[in-house]
Amino acid sequence: MTYILFGVAGTTYAVPSPQVQHIEMVEQITPVPNAAHAVEGVVFSRGQVVPVINLRARFGFERATINQRTRLLVVQQGSRSVGLLADEAKEFVTIADASIHPPSEAIGNLSGSYLNGVATLGDRVVLILDVREVVESTPIAAA
Amino acid sequence: MDDYFAEADEHLLAIRRCLLMLDGVERPDPSSAILEELFRSCHSLKGISAMVELREAEVLAHHMESCLRAIRQGQTALDAANLETLLAGANALEAVIVARREGNLLPSGEEAIAALRAMASATTEARPAAASGEPVTGPSSWTVRFVPSPELVARGIKVDTIRARLLEIGRIVSVAPRVLPGGGIAFEFHAQTDDQASLAALKDDGVTYEAYVAVTPEAGVPATTASDLPAGPRAWEMASAAPGNFVRVDLARLDDLMRLAGDLVVTRSRLDDTLQRIERHVPSREFRLLQEHDLLMERQLRDLREGIMRVRLVPVGEVFRRMPFVVRDLAHDIGKRVKLEIAGQSTEIDKFLIERMMDPILHLARNAVGHGIETVDERVAAGKPPEGTIRLNASTVGESVVIEIADDGAGIDLAAIARRSTKGVHVEDGTVDPRLLLDVICESGFSTREEADRISGRGVGMAVVRSTVEELGGTLEVQTEPGRGTRFSITLPLTLAIIDAIIAHVGNQTFAVPQSAVQEVIEVDPDKLRSLEKNELLTHRGRALPIVRLERLFHLETTPRPRLHAIVVGTGLNALGLVVDRVAGHREIVVKTIADPLIHVSGVSGATELGDGRLVLILDVGALSRGIRERPRVGERASA
Repeated sequence: MTYILFGVAGTTYAVPSPQVQHIEMVEQITPVPNAAHAVEGVVFSRGQVVPVINLRARFGFERATINQRTRLLVVQQGSRSVGLLADEAKEFVTIADASIHPPSEAIGNLSGSYLNGVATLGDRVVLILDVREVVESTPIAAA
Repeated sequence: MDDYFAEADEHLLAIRRCLLMLDGVERPDPSSAILEELFRSCHSLKGISAMVELREAEVLAHHMESCLRAIRQGQTALDAANLETLLAGANALEAVIVARREGNLLPSGEEAIAALRAMASATTEARPAAASGEPVTGPSSWTVRFVPSPELVARGIKVDTIRARLLEIGRIVSVAPRVLPGGGIAFEFHAQTDDQASLAALKDDGVTYEAYVAVTPEAGVPATTASDLPAGPRAWEMASAAPGNFVRVDLARLDDLMRLAGDLVVTRSRLDDTLQRIERHVPSREFRLLQEHDLLMERQLRDLREGIMRVRLVPVGEVFRRMPFVVRDLAHDIGKRVKLEIAGQSTEIDKFLIERMMDPILHLARNAVGHGIETVDERVAAGKPPEGTIRLNASTVGESVVIEIADDGAGIDLAAIARRSTKGVHVEDGTVDPRLLLDVICESGFSTREEADRISGRGVGMAVVRSTVEELGGTLEVQTEPGRGTRFSITLPLTLAIIDAIIAHVGNQTFAVPQSAVQEVIEVDPDKLRSLEKNELLTHRGRALPIVRLERLFHLETTPRPRLHAIVVGTGLNALGLVVDRVAGHREIVVKTIADPLIHVSGVSGATELGDGRLVLILDVGALSRGIRERPRVGERASA
């Protein structure tokens, strides 16, 4: 299976490439008043209205300023298109199913519950993101 | 599969319509066109269900067909009980198809099948000759030819499949391979079955058939190709011949066209902006020409949009057609007598809108039967005709379509409303402010019934009705009169997509306010604002106008300004002043709906783009004005 690798707060994550509709640079995100904390706002992406989840905020990190390297990964989850805001996105790799292991209990990070597995690529550790979990368990309104 | 659902839907609708028309006709003329259509629809439904391998639907349709055949042949009367059985069959069919579409567990429909079986077999007993299996009335003999092909094999259909199917519906006397003129091979069965419809359903599996003619072996049977049609097809076998002047278009394709036209509108407004900027650099003669072209283009764009919009308009009647069935069904279940009067079926409305309005209208009709219309005894005691009337009416008013659902029942029990509502409803002179009444009955979870029932569930219905109407840019109103009845009016825009809007800035955000809701834009001196509890009021035109500061509502940062601008929206008691920093002007905007729950917040109805690629939120004026009326409650909660 092929994956797209992206970075959030110094960690490398992967999503299955068929689930990614496209990746774009971020120009302007319109904030949505009273939306949940992790929801950065909303953008038009190829004519579609797409909500943007800030993965840093989602994983409990400080938000970072949007810069040249920031990328929006528009992913398909069921019938929904949702944008995931990542610090950077660069690689397209093939990861064999055999090299993906279940996430160990040791990953105490908040993102631990949104992982489908952990893969080792050479000397790098890549966390396989469970997109469904990230999208569907994001609260829908501000607390 | 979508094709299947669309087609199945049409057949189901036709089945119900026909059944309703046959209500009260004990022995319909066997050649009656209604019966013919009914039969045809069941038959087609069976065929297409078999094609998509929805076995449950196929079986149900098959049994309905058998019952109908009995009626056509005059062996069974179409009395009330049998009509009920057929209606139950149609319901079960729909349940199966809906479950498949929603991906739910398929209901077995066993009850309905058993009832249909009983109805069809009652027939057989009434005709002893058939039961005894005499040759005259016994299974008909058919020559059935199957021509295998790679396509069929790919679909898993081989000669064994056909053999199995034939054995299911009858028996096989003999089978022999035949060589076709082109060198191919065909299998020829001599089969006996009285289920010709099932044979016909095999047509798409490369099967042709004709009445069996005993031939002497020496004469041989000339081999036929698969394209040969069986001799003398019946009228109902040619059901799918559609009228020639219509094209069925996937709504998504029209949406694409509408989107492209919308993109053009955005591009033209960019062009317009650029033109304004270069005005002083271009000789005025040339500039005038440019402007003329620009204006011409605007007009043509408008025509194009209207043209596309007209294609999307469909008669409201398509939705109304379901209503008699729903009303009759429910009235029957709860033992009431109700007649439904429908008017304005030819009123046209956007297909997208009406599809979304289907459930709300159904819900209001169910409410009218369940809660509005009284029981026969109650009606007679009140000196009313025993049969209640529900009127469903649609009409076009300017750029809007008004759909009304009125009953002549008992009216809404205002005392019960006052008792149950938390909103402090006061009944004065036997009436209640209709807007407040609507707020109460649309409150999520509100029901005057003690127990949830199948008619309206747990009171979530009206809340959904209202939010659906408002999401579509419409309004919902209610009028009720004790003892006289209740009327719900839904006002909807003819179409969605493109509207006129006022563009305003608040802090660094831009909002669009639909122009249809805007009364005026006024300048406000902040010192003139009076605070009243949590609200601010402005005396304007002799009335107290509630003020909403968008920066507070949406938690935006702004710098204090000596003068503010307020956009006055809504009328009468719904009027509201939206305070903004600056009003940028008036634009035509392309409305995109916000569907994703992550960004579906109260006070925002959609999104648009103004030509610079930035997304701008469209304010939901109705929700904002409701918000201010509800705010004191929020305040209480916060201080508690």
